[in-house]
Amino acid sequence: MSPIFLVARRDYFAYIGAWGFWLSLITAPLIIAVLVFAPVLLARAEPPRTLAILSERVEDGAHIAAAFEAEARRSARGEIRAYLDTTAPAIVADALAAFDAAPERRAAIAAAREVVSRRAPGALRAFPAPSPRYIIVEPPARTIEAMRPYLSGGRLLPNGEALYGALNLRRDAAGRPVIEYWGVNLSHEEPSAIARRAMRLMMQREALAAHGLAPAEADRLETLEPQIVQFDPRSRAEEAQVTLRQRAPFYAALLLSFVLWSVVFSVANMLLTGVIEEKSNKILDTLLTSVTPLEMLIGKLLGVAAVSATLFLFWGALGGTLLSLAASSLSTSMLGQIAAAFLEPRLLAAFGVGFVAGYLMYGAIFLALGSLCESIQEAQTLLGPVALVLAMPMMLIAPALDNPNAPIIEAASWVPLFTPFLLLIRAPAGLDWIEIAGQGALMLLAVTVVLMLAARVFKAGVVDQVSLANWRGRKAKG
Amino acid sequence: MNAALEAEGLVKRYGARTAVRDLSFSVPRGSIYGVLGPNGAGKSTTLRMLVGVLRPTEGRISLLGGPVTREALKRFGYLPEERGLYRSMSARGAIAYLARLKGAPSGKAFKRADQLLNDHGLGKVKRKKIKTLSKGMAQKVQVLGAIAHEPDVIIFDEPFSGLDPVNQRVLEDTIRAQAAAGRTVLFSTHVMEHAERLCDRILLIAHGGKAFEGTVQQALALAPSVAVLETEGDYDLAATLAPKGFRIVQEGEEHGNRRWRAKLENGHGSRQLLQACVEVGAPLSLFEPARASLHEAFVSLVGDKAMPDAAE
Repeated sequence: MSPIFLVARRDYFAYIGAWGFWLSLITAPLIIAVLVFAPVLLARAEPPRTLAILSERVEDGAHIAAAFEAEARRSARGEIRAYLDTTAPAIVADALAAFDAAPERRAAIAAAREVVSRRAPGALRAFPAPSPRYIIVEPPARTIEAMRPYLSGGRLLPNGEALYGALNLRRDAAGRPVIEYWGVNLSHEEPSAIARRAMRLMMQREALAAHGLAPAEADRLETLEPQIVQFDPRSRAEEAQVTLRQRAPFYAALLLSFVLWSVVFSVANMLLTGVIEEKSNKILDTLLTSVTPLEMLIGKLLGVAAVSATLFLFWGALGGTLLSLAASSLSTSMLGQIAAAFLEPRLLAAFGVGFVAGYLMYGAIFLALGSLCESIQEAQTLLGPVALVLAMPMMLIAPALDNPNAPIIEAASWVPLFTPFLLLIRAPAGLDWIEIAGQGALMLLAVTVVLMLAARVFKAGVVDQVSLANWRGRKAKG
Repeated sequence: MNAALEAEGLVKRYGARTAVRDLSFSVPRGSIYGVLGPNGAGKSTTLRMLVGVLRPTEGRISLLGGPVTREALKRFGYLPEERGLYRSMSARGAIAYLARLKGAPSGKAFKRADQLLNDHGLGKVKRKKIKTLSKGMAQKVQVLGAIAHEPDVIIFDEPFSGLDPVNQRVLEDTIRAQAAAGRTVLFSTHVMEHAERLCDRILLIAHGGKAFEGTVQQALALAPSVAVLETEGDYDLAATLAPKGFRIVQEGEEHGNRRWRAKLENGHGSRQLLQACVEVGAPLSLFEPARASLHEAFVSLVGDKAMPDAAE
């Protein structure tokens, strides 16, 4: 059996046998699931926040309270639509029409539910019960000063709840509205933003009324909205309109770039720590009578590549199953379209090529660095500047998503160290063959050169015992 | 072809520093061959060149009558001075892995690992991880890993270092058993006693070059003879006989008597020494001609400064 295979096999089983491997195998999907679902679950789990409104003018207070109710109604409508989009797309329009026809939020939710129970009873089981984000309550005192103990948590409302915040609406000397928002959560600005929007509309109405415009006409003006349509000039006329389906590959590419970057550096780091451990275990000299340094380098790269492949296979099988289900059953929904984008062969091919090239390049560099270090601490002194270089592709990903063909992005994608990540993120924008072939060839050349140089450094590190410490020592003496 | 291993004009330079200079020697098949020298003499560098880890700057190496190739190296077992094993591997797994790297088939490698571990009293720990074994046990496992593929030539670099006296004796037995099975064993050491007890031939390296190569007897013959004497009371034998050209050093004192060691050189034999003692009226209670040690042989060859330790 080839020594390369034996080295790869040993490394593979050593990593697979470590509890850290199983931890990352299981935790990564869990973390992604938490990241995706936690905000939704948290929002649902959080009870409505109670707000009190103090107002010099009754109509101002009533207007702001109505704005919060309208916001709650809009949010409920969105939640019902998102649910029906994925479970019963055929009845979305009718259910929303029933919702819109009802005068009040609770009645609107009940009306939509009634349509679902009649037309798609199967979707009723998990039908959402949207609750408002804010509940307007009677102020517990007549002034803000008197309300301070309630707002700071010293006292509770008569129903036993805490008061989240208060809006104090007054008019200045010139009669212009002033909105004061009182609350201990200083970074939370949503209540004041809702109040500001509502009050601005009210001021516009008052100004229009002053110019003789009837309130009904003012309401009609509010609803005026232009239709915005985006087109892709490269597509045929009937497919030129840009919808989520066209944008989804860009979001998928962004996510895959992050995954590629983090996986490449995680596994490259495994190689680095692995070779340092072998140096400190003094095992290398024993192996070197049976394996050449180049064979050892290749064996180690293959072993850890197999570990990555195992992770990808597991995650891919899990994610692929979920995405396939999403892509087929939720074809009209946003989730379904993004899911379909992940399964695009062009994107998957770019991911595969990017992983192989990125892994070989960075893996070989990390292995060579590891062979020069005697300890993890010593490696960290080297990794500081290296990490800065390696962080550059990440800095380019956001601008590349914004404009994949920007001159700086195009130029950077010719730098082999960045190519794997930028090729992936630029793939949905449509690359020409010259770019693909040229950058591919350059990447292949870079991988070959890096492997050759890494093999020399690796040999110097493991055979000739060249290390950072004795290199520094020599430099100091010299 | 009787040589298991031959080196001719070996040179290894690291920049301006020469670690090994013009070293030639030949290791007969089936022999136990010792490479001796003080720390830093170039022993490990020489051994690493023999097993192909290092490439010589100049010179030629012949393994079993042929060049240093992958196939030839599969017939060699090597225990490096810098020793270690994968800590999370089991003892049998580690031995089998080293054997498989040398070309042994998987089934045979594991079978052989089990057999060796049982034969060397480690059968009970064969499935235990290396990190749970004592240092001595782990070193034994590594020695077994070097011989598991049943090599024709075994090269051990400082195999006795780090072992307690009991395990040193066990390792000596292992080396003898391997030689008895027809294998060639070459080992380096800076402890003369091991070489003296085990080796058929020895190579002494000092300052990277060859100081001596031959049998242990030939080496001992190069050393001056010695005599051990004991005088009663505080009689100063060294001072009394110095004018007559005898080099005598006091070795110790016991029950009020002084013990001396005399080097018999410059034409002085044990008879002349005894005669001189009688002439000066030395109160002798013991006079015993003794064989020179390998250590003394080497002192006479390379001088005190380049000398290996007498014992460890």
